[in-house]
Amino acid sequence: MIRILIVDDHPALRAGVTAVLRAEPDLVPLDTATSVNDLWPALHRTKPDVVVLDYHMPGDDGLVLCRRIKRELPTPAVLLYSAYADASLTIPALLAGVDGLVSKAAPANELYDAIRRVARGERVLPPISRELLDAAAIKLEPDELPILGMTLAHTPLTEIADALGLEPVEVSHRIDRMIKRLKIEIPVPRATG
Amino acid sequence: MTRLPAAGVAVLLLVVDGVTTHDIVLIIAVIAFTAASLIALTSVPRLQLSPVAWLVESLSVLALVAASGDWRSPFYVLMLTALILPATGLPFRRALGCGAAFTLAYLGVAVYTELDANTLESTTRLETIATHLMVPLVVVLALAYAADVLERLRGERLRSERLAVESERQRIAWELHDSAKQRVHAAHLVLSALQGQITGPQATLVDHALAELRSASQAEITVSGTVGELPAHIAAHVYRIGAEALTNAVRHGEASRIDVVLSRNGSTATIEVRDDGRGLPPIRRPGSNGLRSMRARAETIGAALSIGPGGDGRGTTVQLTLTTDTGEPRPKS
Repeated sequence: MIRILIVDDHPALRAGVTAVLRAEPDLVPLDTATSVNDLWPALHRTKPDVVVLDYHMPGDDGLVLCRRIKRELPTPAVLLYSAYADASLTIPALLAGVDGLVSKAAPANELYDAIRRVARGERVLPPISRELLDAAAIKLEPDELPILGMTLAHTPLTEIADALGLEPVEVSHRIDRMIKRLKIEIPVPRATG
Repeated sequence: MTRLPAAGVAVLLLVVDGVTTHDIVLIIAVIAFTAASLIALTSVPRLQLSPVAWLVESLSVLALVAASGDWRSPFYVLMLTALILPATGLPFRRALGCGAAFTLAYLGVAVYTELDANTLESTTRLETIATHLMVPLVVVLALAYAADVLERLRGERLRSERLAVESERQRIAWELHDSAKQRVHAAHLVLSALQGQITGPQATLVDHALAELRSASQAEITVSGTVGELPAHIAAHVYRIGAEALTNAVRHGEASRIDVVLSRNGSTATIEVRDDGRGLPPIRRPGSNGLRSMRARAETIGAALSIGPGGDGRGTTVQLTLTTDTGEPRPKS
């Protein structure tokens, strides 16, 4: 049985995801959170195995929230569930410690599958292409590249800190900065008229 | 309003000093002039910006100065008040020009009244006339500068208000776009969960609905150009026609790419919706009212509507052309 917390500010999606997950016997949607504010109480109350997290939330985005969830409560796997998920989100998601990335346009069985796999401790992320890596490297400082490399190789934070001779806190701050720089801009429709 | 105390000063000087033998006539003339000009300017505000009114007023006060028989006239302050309206109403340089012309005119009056050899020999008198000539320039300069700064501040405020409106529109556009997108995703997710669990004719229904939702969420739609401002009732019909064209492209055409091209040429606005879908069916589907209602709407607003295959024979192109009598489109804000 996999216990799930759904975090999304859109009522239609919360209802939809809850409904489809209920239909699967091994997936148990425990609760939903509609904003950053009710995320923390819900998280501590339910202690879920998997958090299905929207990327675009009012206030902090999914990546920032994922970092905070992982810092506060290391147990739940975080599945970033986004209408704007494409390959360019993969590297910042990995840096943020996201366990899986699923597009909201994907059919239900892909969502089930991703939840089951991240609950088993697997990572469900699109492969990182050479182009993606090059595009990310351009946006980063030269001394941030080793951190990126080690993170992509799933090196734990303490080991990265040891290797670079830095405090883990310092490495963590740098990763925050890197995420901010790599974050994708969601295409905003132009207002006309 | 400043002309009231100025007229008061003139009357007081006339009464106390006894400038000429016909003071009484001048007092009456000043009071009559002040009252008449105040009433005229407040009852017809347009006059405050009329160069003719400014000229009439300037000439009247100059005449009063000339009639008092001395350029150190009790009407000097009243004369300065005639400069206020042109100085604040004109652009900076023109206002300065106006002030210079006024100074020259005053010099003319001074020469006409009493500027004789006697005056030119006395330093004190020369200084007095120089002061009298400079004051109008200084007054105009100060007023024109202040008016200029005020004007700029007003423009700045308008611009920042426009920016605020613009960003609010952006936000609303984003909210509309995003919430529609999320609903489509939710519907798609729920239907996709049904797929495989349902058999028979209902399964086909689910398959169709899923295909439609997929093309709705995946069709690439680009919008270019603008039609500018349209009267509200026309805009409503144009919106519905455009929305129907988009719905058809996605629902029936299963288009993967839709281009919406808006343009405006004078009073002619054109809206074109091109898709790369399956094109129009050879025979009308029974119970389909979409095209008919589009045509009816176009007729209501007196617009020409053409619906046909795309330029290269693929897909469908819907073109709506309408003429509005609003003339040039207002610049997009």
